[in-house]
This record gives sequence, structure tokens and C-alpha cells, in this order.
Amino acid sequence: MDKRDPYRHNVLTSGHRACSGCGEAMAARMVTDLIGANAIYVNATGCLQVFTTHNQQSSWQAPWIHSVFANAAAVASGVEAALRARGDDTPVIVQAGDGGTFDIGLQCLSGMIERGHDILFVCYDNEAYMNTGVQRSSSTPHAVRTTTSPPGRLSEGKHHLKKDVLSIIAAHHMPYAATATVAFFHDLKAKVEKAMTIKGPRFLQILSPCPLGWDHDASLSVSVSRLAVETGLFPLVELENGEVTSVMRLKQQRPVQDYLKLQGRFKHLFNSTSTAETATGNANGAAEIRHLQALADARIRRYELLQAETEWDTVRASQVQRHGRGGYRNTGQEAAS
Amino acid sequence: MNGLVIEPGSTLAYHTGDWRTQRPVYRDKWPPCGQTCPASEDIQAWLAYASDQKWEDAWRKLTERNPLPAVMGRICYHPCELGCNRKQMDSAVNIHGVERYLGDMALQKGWRHKPITDTQKTQQVAIIGAGPAGLSCAYQLARRGYPVTIFDNQDVAGGTLYSGIPEYRLPKSILAQEINAILELGIQLRLNSNVGTEISMDALRNDYDAIFVAIGAQQARVMTGLDNSSHSVMAGVDFLRAINTGKSIQLPNKVAIIGGGNTAIDAARCARRLGAEVTVICPQEPHGTQPGHPGAEIPASLEEVLQAEAEGVRLVYRAGIKRLVRSGEHLSGLEIARVDRLHNLQGDFKPVLFEGTEEFLPAGFAIFAIGQEVNWKGLEAVIEKPANNITVGGDAAGKPRFAATAVGSGFQGAMITIASLTGTPPVYEQHEKAEITVKQLHLPYYPAVIRNESAILERWKDNVELVTGFNEEVTLNEAQRCLSCGVCFQCDNCWHFCPDAAVIKNDTGYEIDYDYCKGCGICAQECPSGHINMEIVTT
Amino acid sequence: MKKLLEGSRAIAEAVKLCRPQIVAAYPITPQTHIIENLAQMVADGDLAAEFINAESEFAAASIVLGAVAGGSRAFTATASQGLLLMTEVLYNIAGMRLPVVMVCANRAVSAPINIFSDHQDSMTMRDAGWIQLYVESNQEAVDSIIQAYRIAEVCELPVMVCVDGFFLTHTFEPVEIPEQTQVDDFLPPFHFERTLNPSNPFTLGGGSEPDNYLEIRAQQQAALIDAVNVIQAIGADYAKLTGRAYELVDSYFAEQADTVLVVLGSTMGAVREVIDSLREQGQSVGVLRLRCFRPLPAQALVEYLSAAKRIIVIEKAFSAGAGGIVAAEVRAVLQQVGVLIPIDSYIGGLGGRDLKLTIIEDVFHQSSLAKSTADGVFLDLKQPGTATKQE
Repeated sequence: MDKRDPYRHNVLTSGHRACSGCGEAMAARMVTDLIGANAIYVNATGCLQVFTTHNQQSSWQAPWIHSVFANAAAVASGVEAALRARGDDTPVIVQAGDGGTFDIGLQCLSGMIERGHDILFVCYDNEAYMNTGVQRSSSTPHAVRTTTSPPGRLSEGKHHLKKDVLSIIAAHHMPYAATATVAFFHDLKAKVEKAMTIKGPRFLQILSPCPLGWDHDASLSVSVSRLAVETGLFPLVELENGEVTSVMRLKQQRPVQDYLKLQGRFKHLFNSTSTAETATGNANGAAEIRHLQALADARIRRYELLQAETEWDTVRASQVQRHGRGGYRNTGQEAAS
Repeated sequence: MNGLVIEPGSTLAYHTGDWRTQRPVYRDKWPPCGQTCPASEDIQAWLAYASDQKWEDAWRKLTERNPLPAVMGRICYHPCELGCNRKQMDSAVNIHGVERYLGDMALQKGWRHKPITDTQKTQQVAIIGAGPAGLSCAYQLARRGYPVTIFDNQDVAGGTLYSGIPEYRLPKSILAQEINAILELGIQLRLNSNVGTEISMDALRNDYDAIFVAIGAQQARVMTGLDNSSHSVMAGVDFLRAINTGKSIQLPNKVAIIGGGNTAIDAARCARRLGAEVTVICPQEPHGTQPGHPGAEIPASLEEVLQAEAEGVRLVYRAGIKRLVRSGEHLSGLEIARVDRLHNLQGDFKPVLFEGTEEFLPAGFAIFAIGQEVNWKGLEAVIEKPANNITVGGDAAGKPRFAATAVGSGFQGAMITIASLTGTPPVYEQHEKAEITVKQLHLPYYPAVIRNESAILERWKDNVELVTGFNEEVTLNEAQRCLSCGVCFQCDNCWHFCPDAAVIKNDTGYEIDYDYCKGCGICAQECPSGHINMEIVTT
Repeated sequence: MKKLLEGSRAIAEAVKLCRPQIVAAYPITPQTHIIENLAQMVADGDLAAEFINAESEFAAASIVLGAVAGGSRAFTATASQGLLLMTEVLYNIAGMRLPVVMVCANRAVSAPINIFSDHQDSMTMRDAGWIQLYVESNQEAVDSIIQAYRIAEVCELPVMVCVDGFFLTHTFEPVEIPEQTQVDDFLPPFHFERTLNPSNPFTLGGGSEPDNYLEIRAQQQAALIDAVNVIQAIGADYAKLTGRAYELVDSYFAEQADTVLVVLGSTMGAVREVIDSLREQGQSVGVLRLRCFRPLPAQALVEYLSAAKRIIVIEKAFSAGAGGIVAAEVRAVLQQVGVLIPIDSYIGGLGGRDLKLTIIEDVFHQSSLAKSTADGVFLDLKQPGTATKQE
């Protein structure tokens, strides 16, 4: 067991084999340290499972189980029911990627929620099948280059839109569903902590940049995720029982180009030669960029990201404090704040 | 059961640090405030203590370089704040406000300076001049165990701080208390002792192992080409000395001040307090009109100019004096003209005036505040026969600058003096340039907090101190505005963002666990203060 | 005391006696009566368990996987397509060595869709790493379920009790249901060493590499082979408790007969009648039923079959493109020990087709298929072109 750091558990500790700069490793470290080691973690197949349990070594320092790709929510349902049957109130957490949430795992997730299991389901959304080498998922945004949605003479990347999984989840009479991302740690922290106070099924979708699949510099994972929010492409919102109860206001809306330009997965849009008419009627890279801007604008309108009456905005949520703002709980020591 | 369960944390056996091609290194950098501070104070460091309400630690850190914080917090023109990176974000940290608070708190609480060493040295040092340079040098030497004697030809210590700064800016009691605190280190002070006339330089050289000469620049510069008969005309430095030493001065209704420096403004405000209508003739442009052209704007500090204007002082910019107009002995006014350029063809500072722009400015009294010079009378040997163990500092060593420059010069003088006594090279950090600019900072991480300004009393005619100090709450708030450029302030970003749990937090800060750090660079990218460097791994 | 119960009800009663804490299932004919009975027991407070309505069999299997890893005894049941949908998870449960018990109400697999009984569903799972017990009667189903929990928990292996759909699940038979105290004496409270627990936070289901996967699989195989002894020992224990003994195989004159029929499941009832009739006619015939198909009871097969002159296998499943599955395995076991008896392979009863006594009897009268290329012959096959006509 790793006890190097007196200020956090390191539930997900070092020696894991995530790529340098991995946003999912970062997000999972944050989430699991916020929840602590007194929980049972159920993992879907995917990057997180592969890079944390390799060659019969494990980076986990809390009880952790992986079964198969699609069934994490169902396995967790069983674990949660078993604990309940034994009068044990240890929290149960599911961790899955976007494949294990939006696609192959959606049915089990829906069942888990419908049955009201007391489980927090965390989706680390890196917007494609990264573990298998960057293939398109239903979470992949429109016009993104992946190995199975390649740009070409007749294509500008993925033809279809990113699935709005949050709305699907929220439509389940869902006690709590929220989005978060690594750049806004204190927002993420507040959401994890809030989720842990609510009984019943809870859902967190955490945008987790992937330097490999998104094709950006490893050092930019946090910066890129911040831009996803600031452009309006990834709204940070909370929904309780299906209703939007809070949003992070955009202090200033950034143009989508600021976000797209940092990432190789959008590069083809900036030097497009295609004349293809895509499924959504766009003709070339420039048109797709306009389309992505329109999608961002639509999300901003939908969640009123510019008008919302809240002090919680992208500037305030970024701010740090001398000696931190405190990090993790249950460490036996107060964080030095 | 073998193969069916895996031990927790067992990947610790796998050292991902081997993947690394670059590595993060925590490295403190010298911020621009410290670089622009003439006294080379480690401002960031004492603001950090203040941010944690460790007031005495802050004061002790500050006084490592400047033993006069209550004085400097009031009168220094704080070039540190010009350097402050925060001005790119909203406005500079009010450093002098915090400095004054610390200085005042030390006086109020009776904090005493502590020697750095217990070892008493035997070599004696004489210091000529009890101004800021001499006091600073004496302070540094005394803290290091040297017996020090200060000689000053005035009857009160403080030099220009005493004779040149009006009470409303620097109460004499504050100055006296800070000087006393310095002298408490065991420094001998011999007032009314005129080295060069009453005490010969040779005698001093016989009695002392080293001498620090800090006689200041007390002699007013004289404007050439004018009828300089003394009637109704006075030098600014002399005018201020008279005021500060309680001499009574009668002024006519209208007074003109020639010059754009702080002495000119001080003289103008003092004259105003004596009831005169005051006009300042300044060859330069107003503040804020010539950005990027150092020297083209009025050199007096903006605060002083604004306060003077608020008190009814009139400033005439880009104007110079052509002649004094007299009616008999009495001055009736000045003939002034518009300035063409500030320097003559030789490049010397000598405003050149446009022909045909002359106008008459009525004035019964003129005060020339166009600079001061060193009076070497009786001490010519210092210049003519330089010696290893004689060091010149403060304004006497160069053209007059800020009081804080003198404090810094005193520190350097002490180090050079010790070097001459011990035969070792002088040791002190010289920060030629700031190592961190606003480009290396991540400004969105810092909370926006509006700069706190000191309140200014409107009762200016009473000649009491005008600017009020901060209270503790405001001081703390202001200290916490510091961006901590180049220095860790434990924001936790590196620790939160490391995907590899390779940043370990401990009681004093953070350390990188290089066994696992993959060198992604996120910690450096997201460090608000630019404290983390990424270095290429060469092996 | 014997009760006249529908098979599904008897199975549910047996499950209840084992005190599972979690029952997770998804409805599919002919399994539904089992889980309906369990749901009612839970609803009535007679069974202190949580009944979890899974959204698919895939989820049901996953839920019981999680439940066992979470430290609770669990039960599920399915059939046919449901079992196939569970496939991935069933392999996973076995690979993780989780003591899950399930009932497969055996049914044909699609296409064409057919709700009636055969063994094609569970036979597809023969390599999944589960212990498979095929029962003859509802009494045996009850007794096997109770034993299955103890076997599973001793061996840390999952057990699938295969019960013929409709023939057993929907048939009323008198069944002796053990007393709760008897079962409590026989089956200790659930304890699973590798229960997920923050005080001992190990990792379950982590990755393996070429360097260690093979060893883990070899352990699984060894555990299954060793399970043969456990099944026998527990069967003997159970006999002491109830007087009903169960072996790995069930012989009816097999060890004394020249011609031995090999079958699985409820077909045995009809076969006994045929054997009685043929033996009355003086023929040296017997039957051997494989109660335990996984692990394959090789030793018992050798013991019971080595003296025979002819072996006939009738099975309700086949390996498409090859032939009879059981026949091939029996042939392999005997050949391994140097016994080369002619083995005739017949496939019948698919999709619920009645294996009439006359059809079974007729097999004994047919000449041996040995030395011919005919293998895996379909019994009761109508002439081509007539199969789809309504009679």
C-alpha cells in the first residue's frame, strides 16, 4: 500500500500505465481520492481498467472489480444489493469510459438507474474508443477525426452528432446527474461531494482529454478541457430529478476555433480539401467549423450559460488560493488550508 | 489465491519515470518587484508571510534589507509597484501600504532587531552621515557584530529623511523611533560632528579600520545664466530644511517653484501650507502622456502631484524659466517659456525653450528645486586618494535617487566594507533582472481583488500626516493580492492535476516523485506562478 | 413429506431453502415459473432476499456476479437465448472463480425460434468453466440445487443445474422438499473469501499478460478436475441427510449390459422403461446417464462402459458440422484408456420433439453405425419436404 502522501489516499496510485498527460487518469485520481478508499469501485473495460491493472499489478488501493465491458452498472447493482443485504453501507462507485456509458454499457446503466440502486456512476468521457486505438463512439463530437471516422475525399470526419447522454440519463427520474471536467477541480470536487450525499443512482460525466486521441500536447490536457467549457461545447451543469438546477456561467464565451486548433483531431477542418456533402449538409471544413460553433451556441442557449444568475462562473471556478482550497477528506489529517 | 486477486498498489513496483524525456523542477525565481526595489527587498517573501498573517516574520524578512519600513512605507516612491506583474491583470499590489503596516506594527509592538551573529568583531567602522545610507550600512554591520560609530554634522539623525521630508508625509516621531531601533543594536551616534573640518579624515583613518562615507547630496544645484542674488530666491533643499527644522519663513502671496522632482512638489506643498498661491514650473509632460518614454514625464510621483493639485498647487508643464523679473531687489515674477526639448545638443539635461513663447508669471518668491550635489569640502581625500577600506555610498556615490536607493547602497556598502576587513570578496545577491514576466504566469487562476488604497485626509492645512495606514484586514487582503511570481504559494494545482500521483504534498510544499513522473508537463503548464521548469532529460 | 408440485415451484422451494440474498433474473420461457415463484416468495416475505428485475439476462448474470463478489449468496435462472446472451458474463464468472448457482431451464436455440426443450443452450456453455449437472427429475433438481450451492462455495466454481424445460419445469410431480433445518445443517452460511471489502482492498478481475494468463487458466482447469471428488463427497453427505444418493453418473444396468445407452437429463425416465422392456425380452442392455457433464467424469465413464460391447449415445444437442458432443467425448475418454468399443451417435428430441419409447427402442434394433461413416444421425427425421407441412 502506498502511504507516500499524507494529504490524500492515492486510491489510484502511481505506476499505472496511462499515457503521459492522460486526462482520464487525472480525472479518476481526483474522483477516487475525493471519495476515498472506503468504497467499492466497479470498472468497465477500457483504458482505465487496462492501464491500472496490468500484468497482475494493480494501481488501486480500494476494493476494485472489473468484469466485462458492458456490464459495470449491472455488476455494481449486484454489489450494492449484496452490501445492502448484509447491512453494509459502503458506497459503490462505477467507473466507465464513454464506450462503457454511451454505447455498450448504456442498457445496464439504464437498468441500474431504473431500479434505483444507490450507486454513483462516473463516466470519464474522452469522446472515442481510445484503448483500442481511437475509434469513433457515439460520444465522439461531430466532424472529429478518428480511425473509424477518418476525413477523406468524401468525408470531414464523424458525420453524426455527439450523443446527449446526460439528457437520456436525466430522463430516468434521476436524483442527480452532472457534468464536470478536470480543469475545474473545485467544481468537480463540489459535484462529487454533492453526489456522495445523495441516495439513489447518481451520474457524473467528466470530460477527460486524451492527448493521444485528441492529438494535443501532453501538457495541455487541463488547458484543453478548460477551453471545452469556455467555448460552450461542454456545458458544466447539474440536473436534479431531470431539472437543471445549476450551471457554470461562461464569464466570457470563447470561439470554438480556440479549442479546435489545439487538437489534431480537428486539424483537417482547417486545411480541408474535401468537397463532400456530409450527412448534416455541410460541404467543407470551414462549414463544419461553423457548424461546431452553432452547436456550441445552441448548448449555451439551452443551458443559458451566458445569462444564468449565478456567482459560479468560469473565472471564479478557476481561481486558486494560497495554500490550496483543501483537497481530499478522510485522510486523517486536515489539508493545510 | 494466486492469480485471482491482485495486491493493492502493486503497480508501485513499476517505475513509469523511465518513460520521461523531460522533467519538472521546482525553482524559485526572482520576481520583478524585488528586482525594481532599490533596496533589493525580497518583497515576494515578506508579502507571503503577511499573506499568512505572520506579521513578525514578514517584518523580519523585510528588515533583512531595509531597517526603515515605517519610513519607506510612507515616503518611498515604490518602483516595486511599477515592476509588479499584477498591473497586467488589474493593478499592482499596494506594496508600500503593506510595508508601512509592518513598520508601524513593529514600532507599536516594540519588536527589536536581532543580531545575525553572536560573535563580536573587533574591527571598528566609522560612518560619515546618519542619513538612510549611513543608517542602513551601520545596521547591517552592527547586526554582523561590528562596532560602528556614525558621525553626522547635524543635531538630529536622519539626513534628508529628517531635513527634506515634510512632517505631513513623514512624522518626525516615526523616523526617530525607527532610527532608535537601529541604534539599539549598539551603534554609537555622534551628532554635530563635522568630519573634514572639526574631525580630520586622517584622524578617522587612524582610529577606525574602515570608513563608509554617506554624506548625501545636500548642496542645491544652481541654475546658470540667471540673476541668482539670494533675495526672494531659495533652493528647494534649503527651503525644506528650514521648514523641517522649525525655522520661521515668511512668504509673499505668490510663490513659483522651478523643477519637476519630488523636492519641487514637497516645496510647493510646504509653501502652500504657509498660505501662498503656488505655481510649479515643470519642464516635463504630465503623468500618463508619454508612455514608453522614460524621463519625458514629470519625475515627481503621481500620488504627490495629485495630492499637491488637490491642495491647490498649480502645475505648468513643459515650461522653463528664462529670467527672474525684479522690481528693485524684490522679485516681481518670472519670465517663462515653452519647452522645445529637454536636452541640449550635447545631450545634457538642459531644457531648450521656444523663442516667442514667453509669458510673465507673477511671483514674489522663487524656489529652485532642480537637483542637489555632493559637497566634498574637507573630504576631498576620499575622492583623490581612494583606499580599500573607504567606501562611498548613498547619494554621495552617484546622482541622487530615492531614499530606498540609499538604503540599498548602505547594505552594499556594509558588504563591501566587511569584504575589505576580511579580505574576502563581497557576498550579496545581485538581481540584474527579473526572472519572471507576466507571460510565464497563468493569470486566470488568480482571484480578482481590487487594489486597496490608503485614505487621504482632507485636513491638509493642519500639517498632520495626510495618508492613513491600512488596518489588519485591508493589509491581509492586499498582501494576498500578490501573485507570488516565480515562487510557490501552495495552490495545489500541480498536486491536483498530476495524472500520475507523482506530486507528493508535504507540510512545507510539494516534491516530485521521479520514480513515477512521466514528464507530461501539466504541472508546469498549470502552475499559476511560473514556479515549475521543465528540463530536458539528457541521460 | 412429499408434495405434488410443478417443477418450477419445486425448484423455487429448493432455492429458497438455500437462503440466497440476491435473486436476479430476466423472464424467458420456460424459466419464468421459477422466477415468478421466487418473486412471490420475496413479495410474501417468505424469502429474505432481494429480487432484482434485470433488464436482460446479460445484466442478470452480471448482477449475480456482483452480488457474490459483494459477499452475498445469489441465484439466477434462464434458458436458451437468455443463456446465450449471458455467455460473456458466464465465462467471466467462471474465470473469476465466483460461486454462482444458476438453473438453466433447457430450451432450443434460435433460429428458427422455438420455445421447447433440448440441450443445445447449455451445451454451448460446456467450455465456459461452469460445473454442469443435468437432472432427470424434479426431485433431483431440488436436491441438486441444494448440493450445487455447497459445491460452488467449496470449489469457488459456478454451478449450472440443467433442468429440461417443460418436461420438468412445467410438470407436476410429487417431490420431497427437505426441511429448512436439514438444509441449514448441510449448507453453511455464505462465506466468500474474496468478498470486496475496504479493509482488505484487493483488485478483482485485473489484467493479465501472456506471462501469466496460461497459469491462471491451468488453475481453473485443475479446480474443475478436482471438483469431481467434491461433487461425489457432497453427494454422499447429502445422502446421509436425506437418504437420496447422487453420483456423477446414474447407471441402470449399465455395468452389466452388452449394449449401453448413454443419455442426459429427463430422457432417462423413458429410457428406463425401454430398458426394462428389452431386458424382459432377454436382451443385455443398460443405460448410463451423465448427471455431471462438467467436469467430465472420465473415471466413472471408464468404470461403467469399459465392459460393454456397444455404446449408443442419444443426445439433445450437437456440434454443428461435427456431430454428437457427448458421443465424441465418451469416445475420446475410452480411447484414451485403450478401450475401443463401437459408439453409435444419435441426435434427437431437438426443439421439443418427443423422444417416444418406440424411437428409443428402435435404436437398439438398428445395426451399429460402427465402421460406417454415419455419425450423429438425427433420430425421427421426417422425409425431406415434409417437415414443414401441417399434419
